[in-house]
Amino acid sequence: MATDLASIPPEADARLPPAGTRTGRAARWLLARYPVWPVVAHLADKKVPRHRHSAWYAMGGIVLFFFAVQVVTGVLLMVYYDPGQPWQSVQHIVMEVPYGSLIRSVHHWAANGMILAIFLHLFSTFFLKAYRPPREMTWVTGLALAGLGMAFGFSGYLLPWDELSFFATRVGISEVEKVPLVGGFLADLIRGGPDVTVATIGRFYPLHVVVLPLVVLGLIAAHLTFVQVQGVSEPDSFRALPPENRRYHRFFGEFLVAEVPVWLALGVLLVALAAVAPRALDPEANPAAAAPEGIKPEWYFLSQYQALKLFPGSLEVVGQAVLGLIPLAMVAVPFWDRSVPADARGRLVTRLGVAAVAGLVAMTAWGWLS
Amino acid sequence: MNYPVWDVPWLGAGLVVAIIAVFHVFVSHFAIGGGAFLFAAEWWAGRLARAGHASDAARVLDFLHRYATFFLVFTTVFGAMTGVGIWFAIGLASPEGTSLLIHQFVFAWATEWVVFLLELTILYLYYYGWKHNPRRDQVFLAGAYFVVSWFSLFIINGILSFMLTPGGWTPENRDLAAGFFNPSFWPSLVLRTATMFLIGGLGGLLIAGRLGAEDPLKPRVVRFSAAFVVPAAFLVPILFGWYWSTLPESTVKMVQEGVAGLGGGRLTAITRHLVLAGAAGFAVMAGVLVAVVRPRAVTTGVALALMLVVQMGLMGAEFFREMARKPYVIYGTLYSNSLWKKDADAGPATLKTPFLERARWHPAVLPGSTEHGEWVLRLQCMSCHTRKGYRDLTSRTASWTPEFAFRWFDTMHEQGVMPPFQGSDNDRAALAATLLNLHGRALDGNDVLRAVTEKARQAAPSPATPSATPVPPPEAPR
Repeated sequence: MATDLASIPPEADARLPPAGTRTGRAARWLLARYPVWPVVAHLADKKVPRHRHSAWYAMGGIVLFFFAVQVVTGVLLMVYYDPGQPWQSVQHIVMEVPYGSLIRSVHHWAANGMILAIFLHLFSTFFLKAYRPPREMTWVTGLALAGLGMAFGFSGYLLPWDELSFFATRVGISEVEKVPLVGGFLADLIRGGPDVTVATIGRFYPLHVVVLPLVVLGLIAAHLTFVQVQGVSEPDSFRALPPENRRYHRFFGEFLVAEVPVWLALGVLLVALAAVAPRALDPEANPAAAAPEGIKPEWYFLSQYQALKLFPGSLEVVGQAVLGLIPLAMVAVPFWDRSVPADARGRLVTRLGVAAVAGLVAMTAWGWLS
Repeated sequence: MNYPVWDVPWLGAGLVVAIIAVFHVFVSHFAIGGGAFLFAAEWWAGRLARAGHASDAARVLDFLHRYATFFLVFTTVFGAMTGVGIWFAIGLASPEGTSLLIHQFVFAWATEWVVFLLELTILYLYYYGWKHNPRRDQVFLAGAYFVVSWFSLFIINGILSFMLTPGGWTPENRDLAAGFFNPSFWPSLVLRTATMFLIGGLGGLLIAGRLGAEDPLKPRVVRFSAAFVVPAAFLVPILFGWYWSTLPESTVKMVQEGVAGLGGGRLTAITRHLVLAGAAGFAVMAGVLVAVVRPRAVTTGVALALMLVVQMGLMGAEFFREMARKPYVIYGTLYSNSLWKKDADAGPATLKTPFLERARWHPAVLPGSTEHGEWVLRLQCMSCHTRKGYRDLTSRTASWTPEFAFRWFDTMHEQGVMPPFQGSDNDRAALAATLLNLHGRALDGNDVLRAVTEKARQAAPSPATPSATPVPPPEAPR
């Protein structure tokens, strides 16, 4: 009897579990209908180099874990959140909905954890020089995801509509307003008018729960596809080893399995933080009131906020230009530093990276303390 | 109030005790479960040797020696440091409660310290006799260590469980047996025993993580260690059900229904900590099952992650146990701010007398002054709260008015979460002023009394200070 079922490649037949077993039968049933053996074989052979910096390879998975937590807790919060009555609905979540305070606090801490993990992933990739060709697009999509992660934070921060979130958002958007030529237009577009009002929530909410998730999911798919196709980058010190001394983990079955307990620990850490330090809901925002003292943006915007203070008055445009150049320079890095192993240019980029991290940490600490 | 108050800025005295105690609980449970692990692994090595697998037995003993080295250093160094730290901290944070425990359980404490000395002696004999003692003696020493260390848990468990469920013990009868073998003694003992097996097994995973991925011993050690963790992790929720059945009714109500907050909602800190303990239990079970399926993937990082999970779970469980006593430090006997319930029950004759006249450790203050309020705050509130920090008073009083503050102290007690307020109206007004001054005001007790009197005059023909439950002003939840 002729059928349109695909035949099982001989090498698949050799590597799959025996045909007599349940898993073997299931695998052959699927392969006969979806002939994707080359993809399966590619993934099964994926390796992760073993060296003293291998732990940094786990950061991407950690970012994904936090993102998954955000999706689950975000959907649960959406059940009760009402953009027409933002503060009242969050109060209802915190005070009356069973476990509402816990879910909201986990969402808050996972957001912070995700952005921290993004920074760690970004800088570990940078210092391991994993951005060099042929991985330029992995780097660029990663940078875009980092920016979108911060956009998630900014758009979500306003949604409770409490005093702190209102004034911090107002301060943040006022920085946009100072951009020459287009600043006013952009600020009005973001705010939905000349000031932050409930109309701003009407823009931030769909951005936070629909637009950004869709864009991020698309970019994550691209980013992961690039990683799967090109494999994990090997640092120069590892490449310098004789081939017989290079050791690898299998990605599926070893490396990924070892990440599961780490994700579990991070999940429990989120619950612990939510238990010990639940996210507070401040009094409802009153746009007519004076801003309380000490209003600052969230920690991941503090370095930029503090840096702009170094450019007072009319110099602020210069500060904005300098800050605007930083992401452009980061995008350009893999197109400028291409040499494997690293040459003088590569070493210069590493030193600039160290200076950038030191500056970021110092500015954040300064902003925190000032 | 026979003792001074330990005012720890930002953290608060209670959290200092908790931070030390939570780590100590992990170490002390490991110190017992690890003993069981040593004994079982000795037995395993002996069985391999008797079956003619001498090289396998030698490798298991090599693994066991690494385990014992880590175990000895970790449990003795950190166990001793945190153990002494707890005594130091609880003596400062709750001197009245510590005094009660010492006086009530003198014999138990004495036994505990003898047992502890014996425990250490056996452990040193075991470890330093490694090369010299016959294996049979080592098996005996490991077993003896486990039995003796478990007996120390037996004693401590009696005292800890007494604090939550004193049972038939009263300050009058001082019945040692009734207090020690209290309603939650046995479930608590079995629950802690299962937990210590779990942690002992995780110690084995930690050492197994150091073995190379290709080492043939690794899967066997991982599965041997998991045999400690998995049954215990299954048992813990069941045993918790038994423990739960012995808890005071007020505790069960607090977990199930929450505590009414100022905004009419529920403050569920105790429930959050219970959820944390449950989440940790699930996570450690899932993580160890993954390790069993893929033992070669177990690394030091994996084992540390699982230990971190258990540490956080213990934190949830211990916070739960502490909060379950709220507002007492000895349930039904002594409030957390060192007020005896029998004194509170004596009624207004005791509670309404000027507070600072009954408290010993304070300077002379002018009635109604800000110093007056400051000392009432320190002596009645700071054993649990901080001005700004953990359980901070600043955010909790953000929208208070003088009239509201004046009345709210009683309402909080009626809701079952706070001790009764002690003192006269002058004390009450002085404390209210101090709390309002946390927000930049400059009031003293007399200002508050004037505001309360004026409000009462406007509200009703009778100018008497009202005693009905006040309606709270709108306040943000937390």
